[in-house]
Amino acid sequence: MPNQSPPTRYSAVAQGFHWLIAALIVVQFTLGWTAEDLPIGARKLARLDWHKSFGMTILMLAVLRLLWRLFNRPPELPAGMSTIEKQLARATHVLFYVLLFVMPLTGWVMSSAKNFSVSWFHQFTWPNLIGPNEQAFDVLRTTHDTLSWLLFALALLHILAALKHHFWHKDDVLKRMLPFTKSEKRS
Amino acid sequence: MRNIYLAGTAAVLLGAAAAVAAVAGYTSDAQQSRLEFVGLQAGAEFKGVFHKFTADVDFAPDTLASSRIDVQIDMNSVDSIDKDRDATIRGKDVFDVAHNPTAHYVTKSITKTAAGFSAVGALTLRGVTKDVPIEFQFVPAAAGAKLSGSAKLNRLDFGVGQGDWKSTDTVGDAVKINFSLVLKPKG
Repeated sequence: MPNQSPPTRYSAVAQGFHWLIAALIVVQFTLGWTAEDLPIGARKLARLDWHKSFGMTILMLAVLRLLWRLFNRPPELPAGMSTIEKQLARATHVLFYVLLFVMPLTGWVMSSAKNFSVSWFHQFTWPNLIGPNEQAFDVLRTTHDTLSWLLFALALLHILAALKHHFWHKDDVLKRMLPFTKSEKRS
Repeated sequence: MRNIYLAGTAAVLLGAAAAVAAVAGYTSDAQQSRLEFVGLQAGAEFKGVFHKFTADVDFAPDTLASSRIDVQIDMNSVDSIDKDRDATIRGKDVFDVAHNPTAHYVTKSITKTAAGFSAVGALTLRGVTKDVPIEFQFVPAAAGAKLSGSAKLNRLDFGVGQGDWKSTDTVGDAVKINFSLVLKPKG
């Protein structure tokens, strides 16, 4: 493997992880942010029920995705990018991976602290990670909420950067993550 | 004729008095007794207890006809280890403690079973009275006895859950009750 030349496109598996998790994150923002504004009641509980099930799904996918990423080399960044751009791109991706774990985990611990155990689509219940603790819940809720804004900002940066690559630099950075497209041969 | 009625009535009264004399009277020890309910919320189990309740028990395993369990529950003493959930449970749509501060359970008949005893009793909860069967064990102790067992009921039979809470998607209809009464002889 070390001597293999890097691929020019993301594999179907990597693309699958990327787009599935991206779609789930959009769902999570919709459920999470709208639930936040609801008064305590059955509607809020129902919405957070879905939010938690999808969140735990993302956590499981994140574990698989990280394992896949560790054993499968991604395509390299275009040669034309400056060192600082490459470092920024790498930092963004590392932070994405961190948040893929930290968002569900803070949600899970927060639910545990609130003594509202997390179910996975009513199929089974995840164990509580900590005991009931009001102070911990308040801190975790603030953390989860603040990090959701960080994730939102990061996603925005990520999308704008992909569009910049595609329309400004006219390279294949966006295309190689898109299914049903072809990337040009590496020059 | 009249004398026969009188004699009959006297005999029934004497019989009842004799039966009452045969059973031992107990009250529950508030510190050591426990009354717990287990519900399903957003697909995950949650537990709550009532801190304040009193049980008045007349019981002897061989005179079940005159044995009786009578429990008064202070609905305000509900504790599910989350203040928001407790406030919701005490509220108008769930227990409505403002109008129904106590629940009452009194057995109508007790029978011996292979595992212990079973009883049918009338439960008055949120102003609705319905029969609820219980299964229990009675273990005499040095100073009193221990009475422990369980029951199952459907919350909606008693109107526990109005408005959005009528939906069983978010909060299940079935609720399990567990009790463990430490009984002291009546002073």
